[in-house]
Amino acid sequence: MSAGAGMSRRRPGAARRFRAWQRNWWHRLAAPLGAPLPQRRLFLLPTRFGLGWAALVVLLMLLGINYQNSLIHALAFWLFALGVAVLLRAWRNLLGVRLSLRLPAEAFAGGEARLGVIAQSRRPRTALQVRCDDERVRIDVEKGRGEGELRVPTPSRGVWRVPTLCLESRWPLGLVRALAWQAHEHELVIWPQPLGEAETRRADGGPGREEEDFAGLRRAEPGDGPARLAWKQWSRTGTLAAKAFEAPPHDDVWLDYADGSGDPERRLSWLCARVLIHHREGERFGLRLPDRVLAPGQGAAHRRAALDALARCRPAADGEGAP
Amino acid sequence: MSGASSAAADAPAVLADGRGLSGAMLWRLFVGQCLVLALHLAWMPAWFAGVAVVVAAYRYRQLRRDAPRAGLLLRLAAVGALVAALTSEYGSLGEMRALIGLLLGVYLLKLLETHDRRDARVVVAIGLVATGVAFLHGQGLPLALAAVIALAWQLQLLAWLSGARSRRQAWAEAGWLLGLSAPLMVALFLVVPRLPPLWHMPETSRAATGLTDRVSPGDIAELSRSDARAFRAEFRGEAPPPGERYWRVYTLSHFDGVGWSRVSPSQLAATLEQPLSRFVREGRASAWAAQGEARYDYELLLEPDSRPWRPSLGTPLRAGEPQRFLADGTLAGREALSSRALLDLESSGAAPAFADPAGTRWFRLLPADTNPRTRELARRLWRHSDGDPRRYLRAVLARFGEAPYRYTLSPPRLTGQHRVDDFLFDSRAGYCSHYASATAVMARMAGIPARLVAGFLGGERHPDGHFTVRDYDAHAWVEVWLDGAWQRLDPTAAIAPERIERGASAVTEGREAFLADAPFSPLNYRGIGWLNEMRLEWERLEYRWQRGVVDYRGAARERLMARLTETLAQMAAALVALGPWRLLGLAALALTALAGAALGWRVGRQWRLGRHDELRRLAAFQAWLRRRGYPLRPGESPAAHLRRVAQDMDTAAPALEAAAEALERWLYALLDAPERREASRRLHAALRRARRDWRRAKRRVIVKGQTASTRHEHP
Repeated sequence: MSAGAGMSRRRPGAARRFRAWQRNWWHRLAAPLGAPLPQRRLFLLPTRFGLGWAALVVLLMLLGINYQNSLIHALAFWLFALGVAVLLRAWRNLLGVRLSLRLPAEAFAGGEARLGVIAQSRRPRTALQVRCDDERVRIDVEKGRGEGELRVPTPSRGVWRVPTLCLESRWPLGLVRALAWQAHEHELVIWPQPLGEAETRRADGGPGREEEDFAGLRRAEPGDGPARLAWKQWSRTGTLAAKAFEAPPHDDVWLDYADGSGDPERRLSWLCARVLIHHREGERFGLRLPDRVLAPGQGAAHRRAALDALARCRPAADGEGAP
Repeated sequence: MSGASSAAADAPAVLADGRGLSGAMLWRLFVGQCLVLALHLAWMPAWFAGVAVVVAAYRYRQLRRDAPRAGLLLRLAAVGALVAALTSEYGSLGEMRALIGLLLGVYLLKLLETHDRRDARVVVAIGLVATGVAFLHGQGLPLALAAVIALAWQLQLLAWLSGARSRRQAWAEAGWLLGLSAPLMVALFLVVPRLPPLWHMPETSRAATGLTDRVSPGDIAELSRSDARAFRAEFRGEAPPPGERYWRVYTLSHFDGVGWSRVSPSQLAATLEQPLSRFVREGRASAWAAQGEARYDYELLLEPDSRPWRPSLGTPLRAGEPQRFLADGTLAGREALSSRALLDLESSGAAPAFADPAGTRWFRLLPADTNPRTRELARRLWRHSDGDPRRYLRAVLARFGEAPYRYTLSPPRLTGQHRVDDFLFDSRAGYCSHYASATAVMARMAGIPARLVAGFLGGERHPDGHFTVRDYDAHAWVEVWLDGAWQRLDPTAAIAPERIERGASAVTEGREAFLADAPFSPLNYRGIGWLNEMRLEWERLEYRWQRGVVDYRGAARERLMARLTETLAQMAAALVALGPWRLLGLAALALTALAGAALGWRVGRQWRLGRHDELRRLAAFQAWLRRRGYPLRPGESPAAHLRRVAQDMDTAAPALEAAAEALERWLYALLDAPERREASRRLHAALRRARRDWRRAKRRVIVKGQTASTRHEHP
């Protein structure tokens, strides 16, 4: 019992150290993203077919020996030599490739992030594969440049550290896998998943305001409703005009975390949807979150700031959220 | 039409789902199968082509109609049918051809269940094994070339499977790989030692049709009319004249009244109750012949045969590798040959001069109550020749030279009890073995020890000096024991002397169906000069290939390796002889040359790249400006940088302004290709001009300064 407790006390430390060691080791293996791939960070691993190829060489060699057949010997030697040449070609296919990552402008939770991957090199490269977690994309470099798009699912909100990229290729014959890890510090801010339109409206307490202040007359266009046409002016002047209205200027809207209902993630989703709606309608809005307050503002930059704040928001446990 | 076909040719290997093979890829796999099958088809039953077509047609239909895949039952049935067909073709599956057939059949049927990349790679791997196995049929030059084509195709398939996007790319990669690996392959082929067989494998039985260890004149289908090669020989030094090219293989010493048969050493030892070592000894030199000067020294290139016979010109004396020397003056290998092999041999060129340990009595044995008429004739001739064996034999041969006897390749069939009687008194037509048999029988009847020798006579001489001996050169003659030595006696020389002098084809030219077993043989056209020359040239090439490549093992390999090490040792010795200082100087020179070449290559590449790469050129120019005190400021665009510098440097200003404008135009304007090239050209020109003007301005300033200072000093 006590031994078990001791173990359990010791294990987290060991695990952490192991993880740290692993990360360290990993980073030592990985090459920095954006620089030409150096040869010391490039690995060649045999594939299953490559092992089969080795077995094939041995089989042909045995046939050649037992039948004392020179040409079977020659074929076995040639297949072996081809394996060596494949090592060279696979290595050259990856050596010196410069990979860079283009993060998407916006990414919402529950969707996918489209990471642009750009490979650059002087020589043409064939069938490069960039892997990020389980997603992979193929890139061919022609005329110095090749592009691909990784579609990585983004299940949850927050700051997502884009994992170490893996650059690999089985070109030319699929006997070996040339492999390099690409370390980088890219982070992607994943905004909360916006709540559905209908739920947002209900939470808002009614539809958006109508344009009701009379603002003057304008030339009538086909499609104007009969109620909006200025019949009086028509009878007087003979020109068909339509009445124009505009929405009344209104106060800044405050979006408050405390106004929402449900668990924190749902509240953030609701706020996200509200931010999108207000921005779309060109309104000024401010944001009040448990850990920060954003002064009212307007425009794309403000929207971005608000959504980033939502993504980075760390709602504490209930009740403690209020500053 | 051509567009459509080229689109199909460049269709990707896998479907859009990234897993399933595309129809185009399956077609390429099928073509690969056909190429591999073509290597085998000359030796394997023709129905394999049918199997390939049926499987491909099934697969095509399945793809077009979107039909379900071939089920397990169908596949099992196909394999079962294959096994049944092979069993009925070859008798059992243990036969080597049947095993090869099984491999080929599985290779072809595999297409039925080839659906993704992994399956396709398995098909390619089996194809490579089948390519190697094709060399068990033969190792000729055409087969080797065809195999290289098949190999290239398979590599190209693998390139497609690894993601090639176009036919050109796939073939280019296959070419690169073949080219890069070829030198290593050659080096391995030359250097890697060859091991002896590790275990026994099933073999194809093969026998030279001309040579038999039993000769019974009168039976049909004895004389080979095949043009298959029996062996080739290359003489070091003197080559024998046509009349001396008697290649001894077997001696036939047992006559049963109908035919002659060979008695092997072990049979002889058992019959005579003597130890086997009296009749055969293994070694590099003959234990029986006097080790005098050999008359002929030559190298044989033997064709594979299931019997371990080895020909020798006369009596074998010494061999390059241990052989079994027989007491009758013939030679046997230690085992049969499964592929071509080289053999160095020295021999006397004449029948053995030593007695056979079987004793002379053994060579006088005759069945008592056969061939009475011949016996009567022998008695009469013996009386006429006064008991002189030589006169007697001359009389026998002279009799064959006379009218009613004729030499023919298709003699009437003899079936009676007394074959020699029938031949000598009734049919009077036959070829070498008829006459040899009759002569030997008559010699024995007179009490002269005699035996038949089966072997080859002649051989075609090639312009480069080597000889080819073919199945139709098979011959039989007689050896008699006279005056303490065996003497060669060829009755064919009496009846058809041209056979001896000009070869087997000479006796029958225009008269009979020579080469009846090979109606399409190029040997039929040797009358046509240029065709014959081409044939000889091709055979010479084939011979070089066989000797140099196919038989590169054992002694040949050791010789080459020895020469190589010797050359290396000589080079090393020459270097050491130079002395340490010169050696050091030489090394320094070589290193300098190497470094210079590398540097030149690098500079040349940079210059070449810089000429065409605007950004590189611009970066170089910016670095140049930085060295002169005008670094690029943070946040400044390259064009703005150039304009800022232009304000300071009034001399170079126009060029710098032009460069900035050309750069902006090149970077941002919407230009088509020729306009873009023009903008790039202008940019380069402006940058060049800016540098030149800058330098001139500096020089002028310096010159001005100098003249000013001198002026100052003067007054």
